[in-house]
Amino acid sequence: MLSGEMGEAKQFAMEIASKVGDAVGADQLVPIKSAHVLAHYSSLHEAGVEVLERFANSGGKFAVPTSVDPASIDLQHWRSFGIPEDYARQQFRLCDAYAKMGGMRCWTCVQYQVCNFPKQGDTVAWAESSAVVFANSVLGSRSNKITAGMDVACAVLGLTPRFGMLLDENRKAGVSFRLNLGALTDLDFRSIGFFIGRNSGTRVPALAGLPGSVTSDQIKHLGASAAAAGPVTMIHFPGITPGSRTLSEASSGEMVEEIEISRSCLEDVRADLNRMSELPDLVAFGVPHLSVSELGELARMLEGRRLRSGVRMHAYTSSQGYDMAERTGIIDAIERAGARVSHSTDAEISPLKALGFNTVLTNSAKLAEIVSSEGEIRVGYASQKEIIEKVTT
Amino acid sequence: MNPGFMKGKGLVVGTARGEALVSRMAFTFAHGVDPSTGVITDESSDIRGKNVKGKILFYPFGKGSTTASSWFLETVRLGNNPVAIVTEGIDLSAVTGSVMAKVMYGKEIPVIAGVARMAAARLLPGDTVSLDAAKGEVRAEA
Repeated sequence: MLSGEMGEAKQFAMEIASKVGDAVGADQLVPIKSAHVLAHYSSLHEAGVEVLERFANSGGKFAVPTSVDPASIDLQHWRSFGIPEDYARQQFRLCDAYAKMGGMRCWTCVQYQVCNFPKQGDTVAWAESSAVVFANSVLGSRSNKITAGMDVACAVLGLTPRFGMLLDENRKAGVSFRLNLGALTDLDFRSIGFFIGRNSGTRVPALAGLPGSVTSDQIKHLGASAAAAGPVTMIHFPGITPGSRTLSEASSGEMVEEIEISRSCLEDVRADLNRMSELPDLVAFGVPHLSVSELGELARMLEGRRLRSGVRMHAYTSSQGYDMAERTGIIDAIERAGARVSHSTDAEISPLKALGFNTVLTNSAKLAEIVSSEGEIRVGYASQKEIIEKVTT
Repeated sequence: MNPGFMKGKGLVVGTARGEALVSRMAFTFAHGVDPSTGVITDESSDIRGKNVKGKILFYPFGKGSTTASSWFLETVRLGNNPVAIVTEGIDLSAVTGSVMAKVMYGKEIPVIAGVARMAAARLLPGDTVSLDAAKGEVRAEA
């Protein structure tokens, strides 16, 4: 396949995919049903722009339906968010190369709620860690956490190396968490995920004891937090995860270590992630992106309230989520309180520091973990309700 | 066996020689290394403040974002990259970044996995190491 007859872009893709596949011990490249790639300037840098442009300029086209993670700027309102012109230009180089290759312009980390819906048993090559957890754990699809550069190579080939989470033997639960908690808040779901991510090691976790009322949005945040805290790519939720009706099915009948998650475990997570108590420069909701119903819930909670001066509040969503929320009056309702809805980007990949934010308050364990590891911005971690009470009047 | 000799499995071939820089903790280039300098900025890293440029970088496992391969590649583009990476578990970001370094910028940055962190921890600050990824061999020079 490395000969020139397949075209320059495919040849470039094959060079990357086959070498990475060899390195991880994959026996073959197998077909995928969809891809999800990264194209945000803040983490891909100039090198990533050069990689994507090389694919696009050598005739590269995506061989399968391909969605894309958020950009580093709100692609519609970037000027009003204060993004510098030269920074935006770099992001638009990535946008142009991605569009030229025929990708879906969803710009979201929750493509499985928007435009990319694999079914049970489908093999996909997705790069967004939180989405990979959702695909493996809820949809019953199979994906490894594909790295930047490799993601585009897989999308161009329509193939991915067969290793890791594509193989049955690596999908068995190796540790089981059990909830011993009362009613759960929005923050609890994030903290539970974070605790699982920190305590699973390289084992695949299972989680028993979620209430029957659990929503896909809550699982989305739980999974994203787990993937931010450790190398988690799948969580078995007995009764939810296809093929895992029970814990015993999840572990293929093997006995595994059981860890109880108590209130004090969640308080430890909170103490770890919550590193400030003063009023923040920025409140960020939506890492990963909020669904339309979550935006609606935020609008209801903000009703009759007004953001304190000196504090900004951003809620992040997909471009499609924004459009629908706009048509149904949700954006107006949120903005009446002084907050803003931003689409096609997300907080953890925005140039927060350059925009003058030195402190961030969020209910996202993923955002708190990423931002505090960089050390430049101080982070507070609290529930949506606590945050709104603190920063509005 | 010579205590300065370590055997692993070459993931991306090539040879390298340089000063060892050893982390005992999971490592990431994403939000963890400043590509414009090579300095490690990750708050939770035990080698925060050190520079990866020109070093043979040892760490047990990768962690964090799938964008790490591109952060790594940016250090290569700017000439601030480590000359080789040696790990215990396979770090897909190191592999991807190294493969792309070769196809994008013609730079060979060998990657070896399977070197236990206990073995790497015996290296002393300032030790010079040479390695050959095709053979999976890592040697500390006396």
